[in-house]
Amino acid sequence: MTYPPGNPYGQPQGNPYGGQQGNPYGQPYGQPQPHGGQPQPYGQPQPPYGQPQPGYGQPPPGYGQPPPYSGQPAPGGQPSWQPSTLNPHTLPDDDNVNPYVFCIALTGGEWFMSKGAMLAYYGDVRFDAVTEYSSVQAWVASRFSSPVYISDWVVAQGHGKLLIGDRGFDLNSYDLDDGNLTIKASNLCAFSKQLELKQSIVPGFVTLIGTGKFIASSNGPVIFVEPPFRADPDALLGWADCPSPSVHHDAQWMTQNLRGMISGALGRASGEERQYDFTGQGTILLQSSEVAREDPAVLRLVESQTQLLTNSQAGSLGQRLIARAQQQ
Amino acid sequence: MALLTAHKRVLHADLQGDRIRAASGSMVAFEGNVDFKSSGMGGGGGMRAALKRAVAGESLSLMDCAGHGRVYLALDAMDVLVVDLAGDTLTVESEHILAHTEQLRLDVQFAGLRGMTSGHGLATTTVTGHGQVAIVSEGPVMALEVAPGADLVVDPDAYVGSRGQLSMNLVSGVSWKSLVGEDAGEPFSLRFTGSGLVLVQSAER
Repeated sequence: MTYPPGNPYGQPQGNPYGGQQGNPYGQPYGQPQPHGGQPQPYGQPQPPYGQPQPGYGQPPPGYGQPPPYSGQPAPGGQPSWQPSTLNPHTLPDDDNVNPYVFCIALTGGEWFMSKGAMLAYYGDVRFDAVTEYSSVQAWVASRFSSPVYISDWVVAQGHGKLLIGDRGFDLNSYDLDDGNLTIKASNLCAFSKQLELKQSIVPGFVTLIGTGKFIASSNGPVIFVEPPFRADPDALLGWADCPSPSVHHDAQWMTQNLRGMISGALGRASGEERQYDFTGQGTILLQSSEVAREDPAVLRLVESQTQLLTNSQAGSLGQRLIARAQQQ
Repeated sequence: MALLTAHKRVLHADLQGDRIRAASGSMVAFEGNVDFKSSGMGGGGGMRAALKRAVAGESLSLMDCAGHGRVYLALDAMDVLVVDLAGDTLTVESEHILAHTEQLRLDVQFAGLRGMTSGHGLATTTVTGHGQVAIVSEGPVMALEVAPGADLVVDPDAYVGSRGQLSMNLVSGVSWKSLVGEDAGEPFSLRFTGSGLVLVQSAER
């Protein structure tokens, strides 16, 4: 990624003239600065030129600029038949077929795949439950260390072309290079076996660590933002490199709105007052939609945490849940 | 002759004194003089097909659009594709049919076990004749080529239709042990052999 050109303030030590407004040497204004993808150091003033905030809408290197898809038919085919006739030879290798479909070229290797992501495949491909496969191949257990999610995933192996999709959402592939990225579990479709999956502290999210490729869906295009930033939990797709978010409750919203205050006091979240607060350095991924899919793992996750409750606490939680179910 | 043209998620049907059949409730606007009426027992093909359809649970509710003018048709903002048929047969899931010209014949074909996996009834609809049929899909349709030596396996929920000399079997992609052990991911899929095209959408129903 190249930063917006002409920003000498971020690196004062490399530029003895950095403090000057005038620029007698015709230098560094207009030259891209080699920030190397590092976000602005904390507490530094923003570039005073009225430029757009660096990073907005620009994916950083390595985290998956969605590759331009190929194989889309020429628009001349309308209105007659010929949408896009594809066969094993014309399907791309590890690339998007169209914005909503990704083609994985399997050549004897294994991929972890979310159950139900498969649309179709050519060739000889086997799907095994992760638990089943890990008893045969010991490395699987070390790669997939998330018991809550393990039953929602399969291992695909064999030779052929595998087409995956997710509810017609946009699919993007991301290349991790010795990095880590946390993503909403229900949006993760597949990842290569070189990557390691761990359960994030934040419920409903998983973290991928290592070097490799993964494919994730987003409802609408992915938006890349840099911290400090507050995100709506429903629109949040994931984050890379920065620390896990803390929950921020918008005090103004809660005091202005009586109902919000009451439900806030009762620990009920009505929505907008609860945000995820990101600090530090990194990249946040957002989608332009707040429609969430029911994630079966969240239920398992919450259920396992009820062990923290005493018996009487568990009883009153049960009563509240019954009351909530009866309201609907 | 009526002409169907797909414009992304809207189908334009230009009528010149003739008739098309379209999914009930799919009309969003029209210009000119067009009459709409329910075509009774469903998708054409007469009483026998209607009876078969009722038995099979293949639901298809169509209306007649006749007259002069242009009708705009759409269904749940799904992508529209127009298929031209010249005497050959298109097999398509009935819920994906948006409209067809009146020369085409719709019939029900029993598909065996497939319906049990996807819960779509035991039957699928065939469209035969000379004319045009408009189908809808979640996301654009991909036409995947099947040839000898290049079999295709499709998720029943992503399957839209097929065309050509194809035979379809049910396969289990997951080993038996993992099926028993837990709720398996892709429990059944459809394997297509022969030569032809299989239409696949990018979302599972």
